[in-house]
Amino acid sequence: MPLLLASAAIFSGLVVTLVVFFVAYNAVPTFRAEGLSFITRGGWDTQINNAFTPSKTVFFGAEPLLIGTLLSTVGAVLVSLVLGTGCAIFLSELAPAAIRRPFESLVQLLAGIPSVVFGLVGLSIVVPFIQNYVVPANAANVVPEIPIEGASLLAAITVLSFMILPFFVTVAVDSLRAIPRSYVDGGLALGMTKWRTITRIQVPAAAPGLVAGLVLAAARATGEAIAVSMVAGAIAFSPNLNHGPLYMLLMPIRTIASSIVETGGDAMSIPSIASALFALATLLLLFSLILSLGARWAFAWFNKRMGVRQAGGVQT
Amino acid sequence: MSVQEKLRSKPQWGSGFGQFACWVAAAVVSAVCLSIIGYLVFQGWHSLSWKFFTTDPSESMREGAGGGVRVPIVGTALLIVLAVLVMFPIAVGAATYLSEYMDESSWFTRVVRTGLEVLASVPSVVFGMFGLALFSMPIFTFLSSSGAEGASQAFGRSFLVAAIVMGVHVLPFVIKVSEESIRAVPVSYRRGAHALGITKWRSIRKVVLPAAAPGIVTAVILGMGLIAGDTAIVWLLLGGTTTMGASNWWAPSQFLQVLRGTGATLTTYIFFNSPAGDGNSPQLAYAAALVLVVLVLALNVIASIVGRRRKRQGS
Repeated sequence: MPLLLASAAIFSGLVVTLVVFFVAYNAVPTFRAEGLSFITRGGWDTQINNAFTPSKTVFFGAEPLLIGTLLSTVGAVLVSLVLGTGCAIFLSELAPAAIRRPFESLVQLLAGIPSVVFGLVGLSIVVPFIQNYVVPANAANVVPEIPIEGASLLAAITVLSFMILPFFVTVAVDSLRAIPRSYVDGGLALGMTKWRTITRIQVPAAAPGLVAGLVLAAARATGEAIAVSMVAGAIAFSPNLNHGPLYMLLMPIRTIASSIVETGGDAMSIPSIASALFALATLLLLFSLILSLGARWAFAWFNKRMGVRQAGGVQT
Repeated sequence: MSVQEKLRSKPQWGSGFGQFACWVAAAVVSAVCLSIIGYLVFQGWHSLSWKFFTTDPSESMREGAGGGVRVPIVGTALLIVLAVLVMFPIAVGAATYLSEYMDESSWFTRVVRTGLEVLASVPSVVFGMFGLALFSMPIFTFLSSSGAEGASQAFGRSFLVAAIVMGVHVLPFVIKVSEESIRAVPVSYRRGAHALGITKWRSIRKVVLPAAAPGIVTAVILGMGLIAGDTAIVWLLLGGTTTMGASNWWAPSQFLQVLRGTGATLTTYIFFNSPAGDGNSPQLAYAAALVLVVLVLALNVIASIVGRRRKRQGS
């Protein structure tokens, strides 16, 4: 019997190598034909259209998808770092008992909302709001090269922030609560105010947990496909600062993950498109490998530096 | 009043802003969460009717003519059941082995744990692509149907395929929560069983696992919520339609055809009918989203009730 259990454990530990193998193997034709220029060249949308003509040999360039993914992830991580740290401190230190429980359930509720629902609500509230109140009236004259219509990097960041926030908050609260009571008492005994104890002792001591939670949240944001594809405009375009930071946020994007769901489906029967999509999936796998190992590394490094014994349970 | 309490109750003017900011952050998050739910209720409520639950979706482009959610609800339920069947034995086996048998310091344990960590962070859309790559191989034709190219490729999209991939997708999460609850079984239980001369395997089966059962059930129910809410895997591996691939799917004789056929779930119905999809019935998308959120919420509530029972038993 233990042998059966062992094989279950081995299977679940090693199935990820199967995932990597099958995805990467199918991406080989694209990477062999294009090499690194796959991620340094643009023009994804037209290339996909061209690939439907069987006689043409098409080279793909996913650079705008990469830029879109990076920008939306970094934006969402920054927003949820600010909002989420506030929520975590509120939840573990400041909230009166009567508010704590309901707020905790609200955060869990937010974590349970499926991504397609985030996309739906984002598309019906966030996108029209941006179009009506944020987009300047003369946008079409200022930025003639791309439609500025609400579905944008900003909308993607907004939706992603609230999607990943509960995961960050849960991990952050756990790490804040795991700090030994004696640390706080020591600070208070030195005459520090409660707020100073929080900012100078508790948050630094919980930092490994916060960083790891943030990295895991980033992994979710990178891989989110449906919600982003619904609100981000689905145009492979690299937002740029040519017209200032506001217009950069208002430019449409297309991310790696969202391109897979948008193009995948019937188009998978065309070998060149299928291989290009598998190449995108390989990039996503690479990101999640880096991020999940990064979370673990951040943990170890901070623990060593702070001399803190494991402050939070973030062994996903 | 102790010195500590005195220090803590001292008025802290300088820190007022920071604390205020934390309150604001919590208020913003609460407001967003409540307004999402409120918006779904407000927009979706009046589309909920008996007819909505008993008619099938239609792939119509006319506004408001998206049909009902009978097939998507059946699809969601079927997918959950199949995926749990796939995932449950592996998850419980792996969790038991990880907590009871494995030496934490061995390189093998480290490899398995790292693998699970990486697996947990793989996005669901990548799982979808993985499923297409693996189950399009001709030897897996029995799981779906033969593809357009004939015998050289399987179609690679069916309930069975989607359920297997979905099971693997939620595996790390379910293993983690189950393992925690198995580890939470007091060591005295194991010692008691050992003192009675029971073999390790028998004590796991008769003492440890029954004591951890509520926690394992919680893990599975939460996993069911994840399965119900996922879109990317379903969109890629269930055919991207809103109808059942098999005709007369309700007939028992068609059961195998249904399992090997394409289908729809609530999430793909929402995606299809949303303004982003091909359909044109946002009102129906709101209603279906409301149904889905209530379903996931109900699963979470059941999970927390079961989890609380465990705590009471454990103390």
